[in-house]
Amino acid sequence: MRRLLFALAIALLIASTWIGLTQGQIVPVQRNILYAHVPNSVCALLCFVVLLAASIGYLATGRQGWDLVAAASAEAGFVFATILNATGMLFSRAEWNVWWTPSPRLVTSAILWFLYAVYLILRVSLPGSRHRNPRICAVFGIIAFLDVPLVFISARFIPDIHRPNFSFDSAWQTAALMLGMAGTAVLAAALIWLRTSLLRSRLKLEEELLQ
Amino acid sequence: MNDLGKGNPEFRICDFWLGLRAIIVKDIVVELRARQVLPTMVVLGMLIVFILRMASESALTGGAGPVLGAAALWVAFLFSGLLAQERSFASEQQNGCIDGLLLAPLDPGTIYLAKLLANVIMLTIFEVVVVPIVVVSFNLHVTGGWLHLAAVLLLGNLGISSVGTLFSAAVQLTRTRGSLLSIVVLVILMPMMIPATFALLVLFGAMSGQTQTLASVQGSGALAFVGSFRAAVGYMLAFDAIFVVASWLLFEFMIYD
Repeated sequence: MRRLLFALAIALLIASTWIGLTQGQIVPVQRNILYAHVPNSVCALLCFVVLLAASIGYLATGRQGWDLVAAASAEAGFVFATILNATGMLFSRAEWNVWWTPSPRLVTSAILWFLYAVYLILRVSLPGSRHRNPRICAVFGIIAFLDVPLVFISARFIPDIHRPNFSFDSAWQTAALMLGMAGTAVLAAALIWLRTSLLRSRLKLEEELLQ
Repeated sequence: MNDLGKGNPEFRICDFWLGLRAIIVKDIVVELRARQVLPTMVVLGMLIVFILRMASESALTGGAGPVLGAAALWVAFLFSGLLAQERSFASEQQNGCIDGLLLAPLDPGTIYLAKLLANVIMLTIFEVVVVPIVVVSFNLHVTGGWLHLAAVLLLGNLGISSVGTLFSAAVQLTRTRGSLLSIVVLVILMPMMIPATFALLVLFGAMSGQTQTLASVQGSGALAFVGSFRAAVGYMLAFDAIFVVASWLLFEFMIYD
């Protein structure tokens, strides 16, 4: 089932790339990076929503599964946020001739990346207390999420050099972007699932070793 | 956990104030007797200000004083504040006092608020010393008025202390206490520093406090989207309210094993 999800994600991403490269090309050429940039930015935000939901779930129920989902979604979100910022910088250099500029959306995307990075560092730094550590991470996840609406609001409502509402010339372009969105979302779900089960088996192994 | 006040709301309120005052007074008295952290905070703050002053010598002749002064002020507050926050639970942990504190018939939220207020008081004392030093070193003119400056600094102070106090209890058992606390606190405070810097720039006369038109905001940096001085203070108030309330509610998850 998980393999099927990964296969589906790869198929969708290949279809998106193929259409983007042929029928759906955008002029000037650097704007084609949008097919990677936009899906990754959406998934970076979605992973934070999953992280928030899992954190609240853990604090409410105390079940370890929620904590593992939170960890997995932070790892996946970190990857997406890294790609988001990297592709954004490439585009920025080609379009505006600077690698980075402190415009609201670029600042908030950087903040998103830092939030994921600190969450992952916090997870590995805490000493082994089985109940308290996940709670501390969950609290950080919730407090950190309070910063995220700002990222979203700035990407939509604040006038900026960075345009969110890109107008397409043809249906091919919309199709390529939508396929990319779907592919990246499936990839995110598959990654979170894979990491959750890997973390669970690692915990089980550690418990068996202790006994 | 608070059986004492059960069914008697009057007693509960009284309990809350007594507990709050007891912890604040204890923390302040301990600090006054041992002088462990306040001198370090002040000297660290002064060092940060002087290092930035020396490093920015060439820009200051070009009239960048207010910009660098605002940056120096917040950087000094953030890092010196971290010292106070780290200390506020380190002292409890080292002597095993944390168990006594948790056994006291108090709501965990009350313990959090008391620790927060103690940290706010420490940082306020720090500000009284360091703000004049920044004003003198960077040759600033507080055109917006000292009262406004005090209000903005107090709002920043509350925001910085709220997150730091919450996570101070969490990092005590780790090997990298202070450095872990610093990244956790700084990353959460990052968005708040945008309106905070804007407000100081207006007060130091480097930026207009009036609402800017859309055209002038277009294509400019993150600072400009704050818009006006009133909006900047509003954002800071909102951040403070969100952080304090969320920390107050979530604190109990951080301290019990």
